[in-house]
Amino acid sequence: MYAYDQFDHAMVASRNAEFRDQVERRLKGELTEDEFKPLRLMNGLYLQLHAYMLRAAIPYGTLSADQMRRLAHIARRYDKGYGHFTTRQNVQFNWPKLSDTPDILDELAEVEMHAIQTSGNCIRNVTTDQFAGATADEVADPRPYAELLRQWSTFHPEFSFLPRKFKIAITGASADRAAVKWHDIGLVLKQNDAGEVGFEVSVGGGMGRTPVIGKVIRDFLPEKDLLSYMEAILRVYNENGRRDNKYKARIKILVEAMGADEYARQTEAEWDRIKDAPIDVPEEEAARIKAFFAPPPLEVLEETNASVDEFASKNFLFASWLNNNTNKHKVPGYVNVTISLKPHGGIAGDATAEQMELVAALADAYSQSEIRVSHEQNLILPHVPVKDLATIWADLDEAGLGTANVGLITDMIVCPGLDYCALANARSIPIGQAISNRFDDMKRIQDIGPLKIKMSGCINACGHHHAGHIGILGVDRKGEESYQILLGGSGAEDASKGTILGPGFDEHGIVDAVEKVVAVYLGEREEGEEFLGTYRRIGAQPFKEALYGTH
Amino acid sequence: MAKKIKGPQMLIANRLDDGRVVFFTRTGGWSSNTDDAAYGEDEVLESLLERAQVFVANNTVIDLQAIGAVIDGDKAFPSHIKHAMQAKGPSVRADLGYQTSLDWEQA
Repeated sequence: MYAYDQFDHAMVASRNAEFRDQVERRLKGELTEDEFKPLRLMNGLYLQLHAYMLRAAIPYGTLSADQMRRLAHIARRYDKGYGHFTTRQNVQFNWPKLSDTPDILDELAEVEMHAIQTSGNCIRNVTTDQFAGATADEVADPRPYAELLRQWSTFHPEFSFLPRKFKIAITGASADRAAVKWHDIGLVLKQNDAGEVGFEVSVGGGMGRTPVIGKVIRDFLPEKDLLSYMEAILRVYNENGRRDNKYKARIKILVEAMGADEYARQTEAEWDRIKDAPIDVPEEEAARIKAFFAPPPLEVLEETNASVDEFASKNFLFASWLNNNTNKHKVPGYVNVTISLKPHGGIAGDATAEQMELVAALADAYSQSEIRVSHEQNLILPHVPVKDLATIWADLDEAGLGTANVGLITDMIVCPGLDYCALANARSIPIGQAISNRFDDMKRIQDIGPLKIKMSGCINACGHHHAGHIGILGVDRKGEESYQILLGGSGAEDASKGTILGPGFDEHGIVDAVEKVVAVYLGEREEGEEFLGTYRRIGAQPFKEALYGTH
Repeated sequence: MAKKIKGPQMLIANRLDDGRVVFFTRTGGWSSNTDDAAYGEDEVLESLLERAQVFVANNTVIDLQAIGAVIDGDKAFPSHIKHAMQAKGPSVRADLGYQTSLDWEQA
């Protein structure tokens, strides 16, 4: 993992001291709310429906065990004993007091964390594959590049007041687990014919009220040119993006208006002008950053373990967990373990302080003290020996973290919705819980197979509903909560935009509607065909008929 | 532009220190309990707003808004679901939110 140097420590300490002073001045009345609001937002502090909310950054979703323990401590001391992991691989605390936030930020700084770039019209926390550096299907580890982008973008003077927020995702794997095509900039690591590492670059993806899948503007960007090319893309956006209408201000609108070819032309022209300037880091600095992400010293082990296999043969839930919650590691004898934060009937992405501490302890004991957060709101132990899986699962299960549903219908993305969020129009969490309760039979959901439900409580799409195989969008219909259903979205390498099927349902009807959609799939699927494949083959009509009748 | 609200209204805000949702009361203070909330229309509402603004100016509360209210007897409750949620607390994690008790913040 990356470790702060003297400059990082000084920068965060200075920022925290500045914010402490700003909070004190606000509480004394020396700053008005209008003056203070942009300052608190630049430090990740929002005012939500019921209280303040502090969003702390987890750069590219990577946490140490010590950092996770500190999050648990903050949850317990300053909040209500839990935290919420988000689709930007960050963590949110829902109940901090304003006067406590400088202390919380100091506590975070002690473990090399902060809340910078979690709000505002800047480059936000760069996200990546939760299995980065630990998966068998990877060209290169994306984390060194994500860290480079973090350092480059933090307090970048030109890009701190963009027309709108800006999100970058990067993956190094053949399977896209970072939804890169749905980002303002999406980077896919690849090798060219000469075996050199570089990036496919796409721009203009995004969700919200205008969902757009990003367009590739460069097939291969040499890795050494990453920062100068990013700077060129951002400069074209910063100079041409709309600032008169916040709903038209994202880069996706500019790319659509300008055309991807023209956006690429302007980017290339700007890059041609600046690429020899000292923007990209020297090879030694790139190597220094890469060294922080050197693979851990894992001894090659047996790929199977007799006692694990025997336990699985006797325990259906453990066998299901092995099947659904583990991913092949690049070192034989290890797996990436996904800890589901979607217990049946639970709140997606929430973890109690005690659960965080257990995950930290397991990371120390079995996973090189490393933890990841996925954009699908789960936690990952990236380097786990196969031989220890039964022990780990037993510990997780006892703490309510052993649910074997990763990738299945109850492994939903669910935004905070109207239970917490000031922007929301409808609640999301109770709908997610009701769906989870409806599909609480492990055998049944395994039979249904891979199926991603993604749910947002408003059009801003924090719950990625456009990219759900089944998407659910909560809207306000004459003061009542109503839920529209979308089908056919994907956030993976086959990215696609879901289509709204028809009129919305009330909070009970939407659960029935999901069940009807699943029933159509089960009736129509061909041998081995997953939900998305069936939808793409048969189209929306059979599902519409099941939900709304033939008229 | 905000949609014009018809009928009786009440005043909602967040406390500066902890962000807790409060309502302007008949006695000219702030309470998390809607049973205590003042409400009115036209000149009465204007008078309530004028008195409540003092607390914005002295940094007791932020984000002051007049919101639609439904009246039951002599008690007001927010008419829109968003503000009703603010009055009641989250509908989830009932063991932890302030819906468990009105003096939750003292716990």
